[in-house]
Amino acid sequence: MSDTDIVESLKRDLGAKGLELANPAPRRIFLKIAPADLLATATVLRDKYDCAHLSTISGADRGETFEFLYHFASPVAVITVRTGVPRSEPRLPSICAAIPGAILYERELQDMFGVTVEGIPDARRLVLPDDWPDGQFPLRKDWKHVRTEEVIPGGKS
Amino acid sequence: MSFQIPIGPQHPALKEPISLRMTVEGEVITDADIRLGYNHRGLEKLAEERTWIQNIYLTERICGICSHSHATCYVQGVEKLMELTPPRRGLYIRYLVSELERVHSHLLWLGVAGHEAGFDSFFMYTWRDREIVMDLLEMISGNRVHYAINTLGGVRRDLDEGQKSKILEGVATLRKRSEYYFRIGATEPSFVARIAGVGMLSKERAIALCAVGPVLRASGVARDVRKEDPCAVYDELDFNIGTADSCDVLGRVVVRVKELLESYKMIEQMVKGLPDGDIVAKAPRKAKPGETVSRYEAPRGENIHYIQANGSDKPERLKVRAPTLANYPATVEMLRKGFIADIPLIFAAIDPCICCAERTVTLVSARSGEESVVRMSDLRRRALARSGNAPVKGNAVWPF
Repeated sequence: MSDTDIVESLKRDLGAKGLELANPAPRRIFLKIAPADLLATATVLRDKYDCAHLSTISGADRGETFEFLYHFASPVAVITVRTGVPRSEPRLPSICAAIPGAILYERELQDMFGVTVEGIPDARRLVLPDDWPDGQFPLRKDWKHVRTEEVIPGGKS
Repeated sequence: MSFQIPIGPQHPALKEPISLRMTVEGEVITDADIRLGYNHRGLEKLAEERTWIQNIYLTERICGICSHSHATCYVQGVEKLMELTPPRRGLYIRYLVSELERVHSHLLWLGVAGHEAGFDSFFMYTWRDREIVMDLLEMISGNRVHYAINTLGGVRRDLDEGQKSKILEGVATLRKRSEYYFRIGATEPSFVARIAGVGMLSKERAIALCAVGPVLRASGVARDVRKEDPCAVYDELDFNIGTADSCDVLGRVVVRVKELLESYKMIEQMVKGLPDGDIVAKAPRKAKPGETVSRYEAPRGENIHYIQANGSDKPERLKVRAPTLANYPATVEMLRKGFIADIPLIFAAIDPCICCAERTVTLVSARSGEESVVRMSDLRRRALARSGNAPVKGNAVWPF
């Protein structure tokens, strides 16, 4: 299946759900959808396009919105599904029902961007420490690392 | 009565400090839980404050064994963003180092597998052989671990005729020695019996859990980024994807031995067919706004970088996913229904880091809440004792 075949076929299968569809480089397809259509799209990709392998989920802080990119790898192309959620209400449905291997990536998103993944089977923290303060999300652009002051027992000599 | 065994955060069998909590009933693991983040260095955030060039050396330091993998994956992506075409000689040298790195990584892993299975002479042999490839890498790049050969638009060092013939000599010796690993099953049935049937991961589960690399290929799925998404030189080389369908640690050994031989083939092809010309093209300082997804087959599996550029000399976003992370859900699956005694072997089979000195595992008794600390060597001794008492898996055959 060539890139153009995949693009055409995606247009047919997704209909109005596919907001934008681009093929900027060989074997790279970018698709934009609404967050609510994520699970349905993941199921279609898994069943019809041999995209059972989710490589990873990338997040990016785009100011007013957070952008999340799901990189699905089929044997012939990487289909990147892009979705945006508003910064004021960061909520995203889980796709673990279709792709069980997505769990670690979704947990990482929750830690790093403070997005709530709804329906995630396991919502505990993954990469941040248990005593990490609430409301601090390191990969948001407005988050800056402040080194805590070093306390030396007994003071510096 | 079930017990919980915490393994980690500091543990020899894992690549990074990671915490695994096993629920066991008797000797059998009924559940495993995973907790990461003990070695989280905030590298993706840091990359946003570094220039495109500085990030090559940053990404190289993600991993201490497959350092070249991350740097190559990053450089590939940035070259796409900068619309830069490296000269073919530069690309050949870059991927020659990639394959040499795969050889050193797989030899290292085979040694660990032998060691965890109680076959230490195998460990000695493979690590002795690994020195050959380490010396070659040092000769090419000047370094044994962080080669720093990549740069935007090509590589930083050229090869001369003397180096080319030394590489071919080294590979010829390695191939001869690797043939021993082919015959190993015939001479060491106890090794095969120890690793057969351990850490089962069915084909369906491997696909569903998004496993990558040799773990996936040992479950009978022939997927390899070098074949399905060939970057630069791989579509000009003649090689096969090594697979196995036994779905266990034996399969993972078989896949890596096969990949070793394929890598020797590729190295010879690249050295003999090395094109003439420049090794590097001049790279611009800034990249136009855009995005790219870069994939690379690291020794441990698919490595993926997603890079966004905003027009400045720094990336807007660099997302890195290393292969070991992708294999964690599959590891949990492998550990389930396994034995405590097989934990070191199963962990080692996904190829985590090897700078593992002897450290400790804490065994907690859920009944008394008492903790007892066991050294890794004791755990291995128990593993050997268990497999010694177990009936030898007579139906396990070495597939070569």
